[in-house]
Amino acid sequence: MLLLQNTRIASENSPVLVEGDVLIVEGIIQQIGNNLAIPEGARVIDARGRILMPAMFDAHVHFRAPGFENKETITTGSEAAINGGVTGVVMMPNTRPAIDSAAVVSTVLESAKRKSRIPVYTSGCVTKDREGKELAEIDGMRLLGVTMLTDDGDTTGDPAVLLRAMQYATEFGMFFASHCEVPELAGPRALNEGVMSYRLGIKGSPACAEEIIIDRDIRLAHAAGAHVHIQHVSSKLGMETIRWWKSRGDVKVTAEVAPHHLMFTDEHIGDYDTNYKMNPPLRTQADCDALLAGLIEGVFDLIATDHAPHTPFEKSQDFISAPNGITGLDTALVSLHHYFVRPGKFGWDLVVKRYSAEPRRLMGLPVAAIEVGQKAECLLFDTEAETTFTREFMKSKSQNTPFLDQTLQGRVDLVILGTEILLER
Amino acid sequence: MARKDLLDIASLQREEIELLLDQSTAFKKLLTSSGKKVPVLEGKSVLMLFYEPSTRTHSSFEVAAKRLSAEVTNFNVAHSSITKGESVRETVETLQAMRTDYLIVRHSRSGLPGLIARQTKAAVINAGDGAHEHPTQALLDAFTIKEKFSDPRGKKVLIIGDVLHSRVARSTSTLLQKLGVEVAFLGPGSLVPKYGPATICRFTNYQQAMAWAPDVVYLLRVQMERQDVQFFPSLREYHRIYGITNTRLEEIRQRGLYIMHPGPVNRGVELCDAVMDYERSLINNQAENGIAVRMAVLDWLTPGGDLPKPEPAYATRYGAASTLVMT
Repeated sequence: MLLLQNTRIASENSPVLVEGDVLIVEGIIQQIGNNLAIPEGARVIDARGRILMPAMFDAHVHFRAPGFENKETITTGSEAAINGGVTGVVMMPNTRPAIDSAAVVSTVLESAKRKSRIPVYTSGCVTKDREGKELAEIDGMRLLGVTMLTDDGDTTGDPAVLLRAMQYATEFGMFFASHCEVPELAGPRALNEGVMSYRLGIKGSPACAEEIIIDRDIRLAHAAGAHVHIQHVSSKLGMETIRWWKSRGDVKVTAEVAPHHLMFTDEHIGDYDTNYKMNPPLRTQADCDALLAGLIEGVFDLIATDHAPHTPFEKSQDFISAPNGITGLDTALVSLHHYFVRPGKFGWDLVVKRYSAEPRRLMGLPVAAIEVGQKAECLLFDTEAETTFTREFMKSKSQNTPFLDQTLQGRVDLVILGTEILLER
Repeated sequence: MARKDLLDIASLQREEIELLLDQSTAFKKLLTSSGKKVPVLEGKSVLMLFYEPSTRTHSSFEVAAKRLSAEVTNFNVAHSSITKGESVRETVETLQAMRTDYLIVRHSRSGLPGLIARQTKAAVINAGDGAHEHPTQALLDAFTIKEKFSDPRGKKVLIIGDVLHSRVARSTSTLLQKLGVEVAFLGPGSLVPKYGPATICRFTNYQQAMAWAPDVVYLLRVQMERQDVQFFPSLREYHRIYGITNTRLEEIRQRGLYIMHPGPVNRGVELCDAVMDYERSLINNQAENGIAVRMAVLDWLTPGGDLPKPEPAYATRYGAASTLVMT
C-alpha cells in the first residue's frame, strides 16, 4: 500500500494538473481524492508540489543486443529507461544477427524477461538481415507478438520489395515503421547539407533525401492499404508532407519526432562534436520550429528518443568515422521539461499523450493513466529539482549524449510499475 | 595570446594574420639574403604526419622546418600500423610518447587535425584536412597577394572551380575576407553550393564573373580523385566553360589581372599551357612564399602546456546558444 499525498496529477486529456492524494493498493490505483485517510500499514510519501503522471513509453530504442553488447545490453538499456521514467520500450532490429526471424525474436524476448524490470518489446525486420532484398519470415515473428516491421537504420531501398511486404503483412495486422532516406542522396555522413556542411567541409545530406522517402513510403502504404509509421522526422518539409497526407485521411499514417530534433540544430555540432551526430541529422532552426509546431498540432503522434548508444571510443573518432546516434532514455523526460514544459511551449498533457499514451496505442497496449481501477504505472516528477547527467547518474552503458555533465531543470523521483517501485530518489 | 595549434583560418584574429604576414616578410628576406639556417627551432622536433599524398606542401614544410634548424621526422603512413587498423588515437598516443614538439598533419578526414590537437601537447599544424581547411595555403596566398598590392583592402579575388571539395577555397576566401578583400566564387552549379557563405558572390557564368572586375583570378585544382560522383559532364566541357583558354588569357592579359593556382595544375583543364608563361602568373611565387610563411607559422606557435580537455565543454561553447534556441 502506497499513499501519495498532495500530488498534482497529469493526464493526456487536460493541461490542468489536478491536486489530490493517490492510494495504490497491490499495484492498482484504488482511490484518488483530497485528504484521503491513511490506511493502516500504508507507506506515505509527501508528494507536495511534485507531479504524478503515467510512466513513459519509448517506441524507438536501440538496445544493441544481440551482437553489440559493448554498446548496450537489455539490462543497461532498460535501467536507463527506468532512470528516465520510461516503463516500456520497443527495440529496433538492427542487431547482429538482425531481429529478422522467430528464432531471434524469441531469444531477445526471453533474454528481456530475465534481464529487464520493464516490458521490452521488439520490432522485426521487413527484409532478411535488413538487406532490402528478400522478405523476412513475418508470421513467426507475429506469433511471438511482433507488430512493428522496420529495417530501421536503413530505408528499405527497393520500393517494390516494401510494397509487396506491405501487401503481405498488412493482412496479419502488422504495421511498418520507416527510417527515411534516399541513400544515393544522403551519402554516408549524417550531417545536414547547408551552411554547416560547407563550413565543416563534409558532404551533407540534404533534407530532400529524407522527405522523398517519407512521401514514397506513405504512398506505398496508401497503395497497399497498410499502416506506415514515419520514424524520427527531422525536417520542416517532412513534417508538412505528413501533415498533407494526414489531412487527406485516406491512408493510415503515424509519425514520431525525437527530442534532439526539437532542441538542437546543426550549429550545435560546432567543432565536430560527435555527440550531435545522428541520422537523420540535426537541421536548422526553421526545422526545429516546424517540428515543434507539428508536435503541438498533432502531426506527430509520438515522441520517441531513437536511443542509440555507442562506446566512448567509437564516438571519440573524427566526425566522419564516428557512428550515428545519441542516447536518450536517461535524459528525454527531463529535457522535454527543461526545454518545453517549463518555458511554456507545451503542457504536461502533451508529454503524457505523446510520450506515454500514443506510443502504447501504436503498439496495441493498454494506456497507462492515473485513474481509479488502473494498474499503477506512473512516475513522480519534481519540477523544482535539477538533474545533472553525469556518467555515474546515467544508466545506459554508453554516454554519447549532448547532455553529458549538463544540469537541467527537473528530476524523475519515483517510478512505479504495478506493485514494484522501480526507482526512488 | 600564445597559440598551440594552427588548425583553421576561421578562428584567427585579424591581428594574428597581420603578425604572421609581417613575420613571413622577415623570413623571406632572411631566406633570400643568406639562405642559411636560423637556430629558431634548434633542439626541437617536427613530425610530419601525412595520411594523404602530397609533394608541395610536404616538402615546403620540411624545408621550412629544416631552415629553422628543427629535427624533422617523416612518419611514413603507408608503412605504419595505420594500415593495420590502428586508430588515429593510438597513433597519436605513440607519437606523444616520442615527445614531438610540432606535428604537421594532413588527412582526408575533415576535423581530424583538431581531434589530434586536443590529445597532444605538441603544436599541431593542419596541412590540409578533407574539404575543411588548409590554413598555411591561405596564408601564403594572402602573402603573395600582399606582395603585389601593399594594401589589399577592396581588391577583388575571383576563385574559380570546385569550391565544394576545396579546403583551399574555404581557407583562402575566409582569410582574404578578414583582410578586407572581396571574394567571389565561379564554377559549375554543382560545385559552387548555394548554401555557401552569404558574404561571397556566387557566379556560374564566366562573363558575368569577369564583369564583376576582379583583380586576381584564383584557379582551384579540379580534384578528380575526390569526385566519387560526377559533378560535370567532362573535363573538356569544364575547360570550355570555366577554364582559362587562350582567348580568355588574352582578355586577362589586357585587363592586367594576376593568376594564381595552389598547384599542382591540370593543364588543359583549369588552364591552358600558355598560362604557365603568363607574365602575371603568381603560381611560382606562391610555391616560393610557402616556405617563408611556414617558417613564420612554426616560429609563432607554442607547443606544450597542460593537455587540454579531450572535448570542449558543451556549456562553454553553447551555453549562450542553447538558451537562445529555447527562449
